[in-house]
Amino acid sequence: MAYYNHQNRPHGVPDQGFLLSVFQRVDTDRSGIISDTELQQALSNGTWTPFNPVTVRAIISMFDRECKGGVTFTEFTGVWKYITDWQNIFRTYDRDNSGFIDKNELKQALSNFGYRLTDQFYDILIRKFDRQKRSQVAFDDFIQCCTVLQRLTDVFRRFDTDQDGWIQISYEQYLSMVFNVV
Amino acid sequence: MASYQYGQGYHGSGGQAPGAPQGGYHPGQQYGGGVPHGQPGYGGSAPGGPYGPPQGGSYGQPMPGGTAPGGPGGPYGGHAPGGPYGVPGSNPYGSPQQGQYGQASTGNIPPGVNQEAYSWFQTVDADRSGYITLKELKQALVNSNWSAFNDETCVLMLNMFDRGQSGKIDLYGFSALWTYIQQWKSLFQQYDRDRSGSISQTELHQALSQMGYSLSPQFVQQVMTRYAPRSANMTLQLDGFIQVCTKLQTMTEAFRDKDTGRSGNAKLSYDDFLTMAVGRLL
Repeated sequence: MAYYNHQNRPHGVPDQGFLLSVFQRVDTDRSGIISDTELQQALSNGTWTPFNPVTVRAIISMFDRECKGGVTFTEFTGVWKYITDWQNIFRTYDRDNSGFIDKNELKQALSNFGYRLTDQFYDILIRKFDRQKRSQVAFDDFIQCCTVLQRLTDVFRRFDTDQDGWIQISYEQYLSMVFNVV
Repeated sequence: MASYQYGQGYHGSGGQAPGAPQGGYHPGQQYGGGVPHGQPGYGGSAPGGPYGPPQGGSYGQPMPGGTAPGGPGGPYGGHAPGGPYGVPGSNPYGSPQQGQYGQASTGNIPPGVNQEAYSWFQTVDADRSGYITLKELKQALVNSNWSAFNDETCVLMLNMFDRGQSGKIDLYGFSALWTYIQQWKSLFQQYDRDRSGSISQTELHQALSQMGYSLSPQFVQQVMTRYAPRSANMTLQLDGFIQVCTKLQTMTEAFRDKDTGRSGNAKLSYDDFLTMAVGRLL
């Protein structure tokens, strides 16, 4: 029944009581704040390996407004929606329901997001974001892949003022651009 | 603004995730199917190998009188904490060889394996699999204040010394990793001038200058903001220090490849930029 209610609500806004119960289960030390470790233990990437710690850190820091190293219940609402949205996206592109996205599926996903990338670059993406060493990308690594790509694209676009796809930058500018992303 | 092709990818998914994959970037045809850039050197991208900052030019000032003492990446390698690809057995770091003569318990240390690393390996490889996983590695690596290495640095170390790309490290890889960390540790201690056990922003700036990087205080501050945990008074522990220095090495190397005229500037296409950053992602 709870599940049914959840489904009937407008986009990604589940019942507060339901979320609170999730929060309390994830917050194992009852501190009122969900830490990296707690979130990591609560998340599954569809394999028996721990959820990508870099993805966990990125998600927490995205919603942790005061840099306290974790998220409160209010912030967790955002985390929940964020992860659920990614799950839906992932399922959409994991056409064979394997729990992994292969190169073709990744191409499909990123092309639909609007990226135009070379075939070589897809090979690099698969190689770099395949922590399971299966030439495919799992859910947690898929999130990391997409967020890294998005942040790099944003920072590139900021420098590409004439939008011609080329930038001229100094060494330190380059370092500043990429240091915080990768 | 910038109403690129957002959104059409979200078949049936509810709304847009915060910071979820927003559209790409393709104002012209520059981004698509361009000419393959056959840049060498991306594969495997020997992270943290002895890429030094270049001597001279606009990256770093020339080292006065040769290399900084043990500085990572003195212009001609050698002094950088070794790349991960040293041949096991050649034992370039002169770690103790007397293991063979030791007590029975350490009697079977394979040649070229650091003795201390060997005993750590035995302790940490709790399931006796012959390999150390990320989780086991995290138990082996500690900062001088006894905090565990952060996850990102553990992943970085694992990727650098996991020669089989299997996600785990064997004894030889661990021994090389061990030596690598010991070398960074001695640099860390050297640059921790006030002996506080951690590296402040000023100390980091001095350290990077001595390694040959010419960077503005603003940049160093930016680095500290990202890598120094607030909990530690905005100072770097060994893990953060290794992380910063290793990233700086690989990024400098990537930029230098593109700055063929050594002008300190480079012209990059979107594909170049992505490939440089992601291809060397550690």
